[in-house]
Amino acid sequence: MTGALAVGFALATLAAAPFLPAAAIRALGGVFLAAPLVVLAGERRAAGFAAAALVAAAAGRWLPLRVLRRSTWLLPSLVLLVFVTTGLMYRAPGSPFRGERVAAPQVEAALRAQYGVPESALAFFGAYIERLLADGSLGPSLKVQGRSVGELLAPAIPVSLGLGLLALALAVAVGLALGTAAALRPRSAVDHAAMGAALLGISLPNFVIGAALMVLFALQLGWLPVAGFAGPRHLVLPALTLAAPYAAYVARLVRAGLLEVLQQDFVRTARAKGLSERAVVLDHALRGALLPVVAFLGPAAAGILTGSFVVETMFAVPGMGQWFVKGAVNRDYSLVLGTALVYAVLVATLNLASDLLTAWLDPRVRDER
Amino acid sequence: MSRPLVALALVLCAAFAAAGWALRAGVQGRAELVFVNGSEPRSLDPALLTGAPEGRLADALFEGLTTREPSTLQPAPGVARAWRISDDGLRYEFELRPEARWSDGRPVTAHDFVFAWRRLQDPALGAEYAYILHAVRHAEAFNTHAASAEALAGPVREALASLRRRAPLPAADWQRFAAEQRLGERLHGAGGDFLAALLSRRGGALGAQELARAEAELAAAAARLRRSADTARRHFGVDEGVFARSDRTLVVELRAPTPYFLELTSFYPSYPVPRHLLEAGARPDWFLPGRLVSNGPFRLAEWRVGERVRLVRSDSYWGRDAVRLASVDALPIENATTALNLYLAGDVDWLPSPSYPVDLVDDLRLRPDFYSSAGMVIYYYRFNCARPPFDDPRVRQALALAVDREAIVRDVLRLGQIPAYHVVPPGLPGYAPPPSALRFDPERARALLAEAGYGPERPLPAFGLLYNTAEIHKQLAEVVADQLRRHLGIEARAYNQEWQAYQASMLAGDYDLARAGWIGDYLDPNTFLDLWVSGGGNNQTGWGDARYDAWIRAAADPDGFARAPGEALRGLREPEAMRALLGRSAAAGSPASRREALGALRMQLFREAEALLVQEAFPILPVYFYVVSGLVKPSVGGFYAELVAADGTRRPNLQDLHPLRGLRVRR
Repeated sequence: MTGALAVGFALATLAAAPFLPAAAIRALGGVFLAAPLVVLAGERRAAGFAAAALVAAAAGRWLPLRVLRRSTWLLPSLVLLVFVTTGLMYRAPGSPFRGERVAAPQVEAALRAQYGVPESALAFFGAYIERLLADGSLGPSLKVQGRSVGELLAPAIPVSLGLGLLALALAVAVGLALGTAAALRPRSAVDHAAMGAALLGISLPNFVIGAALMVLFALQLGWLPVAGFAGPRHLVLPALTLAAPYAAYVARLVRAGLLEVLQQDFVRTARAKGLSERAVVLDHALRGALLPVVAFLGPAAAGILTGSFVVETMFAVPGMGQWFVKGAVNRDYSLVLGTALVYAVLVATLNLASDLLTAWLDPRVRDER
Repeated sequence: MSRPLVALALVLCAAFAAAGWALRAGVQGRAELVFVNGSEPRSLDPALLTGAPEGRLADALFEGLTTREPSTLQPAPGVARAWRISDDGLRYEFELRPEARWSDGRPVTAHDFVFAWRRLQDPALGAEYAYILHAVRHAEAFNTHAASAEALAGPVREALASLRRRAPLPAADWQRFAAEQRLGERLHGAGGDFLAALLSRRGGALGAQELARAEAELAAAAARLRRSADTARRHFGVDEGVFARSDRTLVVELRAPTPYFLELTSFYPSYPVPRHLLEAGARPDWFLPGRLVSNGPFRLAEWRVGERVRLVRSDSYWGRDAVRLASVDALPIENATTALNLYLAGDVDWLPSPSYPVDLVDDLRLRPDFYSSAGMVIYYYRFNCARPPFDDPRVRQALALAVDREAIVRDVLRLGQIPAYHVVPPGLPGYAPPPSALRFDPERARALLAEAGYGPERPLPAFGLLYNTAEIHKQLAEVVADQLRRHLGIEARAYNQEWQAYQASMLAGDYDLARAGWIGDYLDPNTFLDLWVSGGGNNQTGWGDARYDAWIRAAADPDGFARAPGEALRGLREPEAMRALLGRSAAAGSPASRREALGALRMQLFREAEALLVQEAFPILPVYFYVVSGLVKPSVGGFYAELVAADGTRRPNLQDLHPLRGLRVRR
């Protein structure tokens, strides 16, 4: 019953969103943004509601419309994500309670009762949403005994996030440097070398890059550890592996953007004014060239997060990727839903941040009030 | 400063902050011994865990009545310092040592064992390995009879009632009904002769009267099972089966003499659990660090999910002076390449089987730190004996004769694996395998196919060869398909499914041939042969034979068999040998010699059972017996890739067990 209600509500909101007037979007957007606070507050309901009301009002009044419009989609999308994922998992052959040796039917029934996993996907979905709203809990893991999904993901999220952001920062830094160098000396040896490296970075799959880096720096030269996660040195190779393709993309974007901007009139004016080349490029030209890069950061972040599955497995980094894969393979429904939710929220947040950054940098794209 | 650079600086700061936060858990040094433990342990509750990675940890954290001597893997005193076995082999009295303590200081008592064993058999717990102790009187009844009775009296009876309306019922439909309702399993051998005979009916049809009688017999069987479940509930763990005569004396009563029973008491499902912690209701996370109370040579210091499990030597263990390792790290690394790289870089001291990439075996095999040993594991293909053309044993035998196992072992596997012409791996003490009709003989295979009516004019239809997704299974499946094509001209299509999907297919009987493997649980042929009883949960071939079932049942109760051989004497291949052994056990003077004679009788029964499988029926296609192999640094001592007996004879370490208790590191 709860399940059907939740799905209906989500679909209705999504359908109505394009037709709502601005005021309604502000109200709804604010409420949706603040809703997680109620869940996070847990037992302190009154405080949770009060805080949520404040945040909703403030957000509705002051945040740009684009942000609020996005948040009217976000919550219903997450509900639908959970619904579709549950349905797909139930359709996959096998079940979380099938071990390697066939268990007697009473064993499976006992386990289903213990973990609260009914035979129907809709019932499971309803129970999941209820538990999420009531306790803010992602439920117990069905296969990793004695641990809740939250307990498993909590230490893994900062690891994946840290690694991912580090990779993103590296990608931007390296890409910027390469792209700028290439654009400032077009068709020279530097340009060709940079774009060749970019091509390699894009074409080689990340497990090939990772393996090559591991063999060279860890096994042959011994400068960096092979795998594991016990110190800052352990982050270097995984971050480089993750960053490589995105550095390549950024380099190409920067080069193309910069080349175009450098043709513009205002650059010639700046040069004519007698500004140093450094000032021309850094203060004036780069801003325009950076726009596509910043817009790309959102999808890049999403890509890095998903690419991390392979890299984390290869370098034995205890991040979230392993839980996604293990959960799927073991049919651990709660774990898969938990990781899917976390990923969805992360991707949405990073996309939103990228949007805001773009708006801040480009006066042409500022909000419509 | 310009905005873009500000933006970039912001992102960089966020990145470093996040990375720093992720690493705040701190750097720590490595333990004295570090090894790769395969996958993340899913539980450390001895009653609920399954799998070698969890087993290694459980063997270090807990200790059972007996423990395994590392160099011989023979049962040695553990929590029990001495034991007495009755002359008929049915009653064990264990005397527990007073110095045995839990890690919180309390003594380990017989009540802990009674509690643990009753808990293991509790149907509400859903323990997968409960069956390992079903040799104990009342254990199986306590564990399964109530639920089976309910099923038989309820849904099964209803299904049969609706089936009765279709009388006369073709035998094939009856067999399908029996398989779907898992009749063989649910009857627990208490169905009576009529049902037993009916279950092996494969031809003709069942009349209305027979079906009516079957329904009545089902109801009677359900009542019998309900009664035995009630009896078990009243007595199991109280005064029969397993009970505490005093705080330090544990009495175990068996249903039938079980020669390998002391091996079972060294196996983790039989380990004690802290009754004082769990009696009032166990938290699902009672085995996590900071909460776990254990009685073994090590205690759980730390468990960082996805990173490592750290064990340190326990101060409360009675034999702590003999434990040489101060700390051990178990790394949950599944990626074979990463594991190997860690080993080569010196961060890991031991790579157990099969933690290294199989493709590199040719190079790794030449290293001095590489070890390998025959393993108690069989690799085979199941036939779907319910689906034509594999319902004809001649077709099955033909396929089995057309596979060149020597070539596979020599060219594909390359590690000295043993080609399998039997179902039971070699090296099990006391067991002499029967001659096998399996060998590489493509001519005879073609002749058999012709006999079954297949030839160039009527070729065998194409069929599927299912395997679970892994590179090695793919290679083997393609080689086997190729051999079948070359020697028999038949089309076999190799296809793979992910593990859960593959299991579901096999369970549903949705396959033609399917790859499978089986690891023995203890050193006795029973662990490989009781798989194939009719309707057995792990059978999944649709094959069954009343003679086979009778022999396996007789082997579980050789005393009963010796007194009243009955059904089990039908269809023997070596009747004189069986008669001689029966005579020997009847003529035995002392109880000890009778027990020995019964043991030999048991082995002969297993020989007959296996002979049926590899000379006549061929429900499976055995391919090879595993070799367990890995890498271990020379600095690790107390590691026995080969077991050394007291008299110097060497035996392969079939179970690939290397207790952490016996290891040390020489620096």
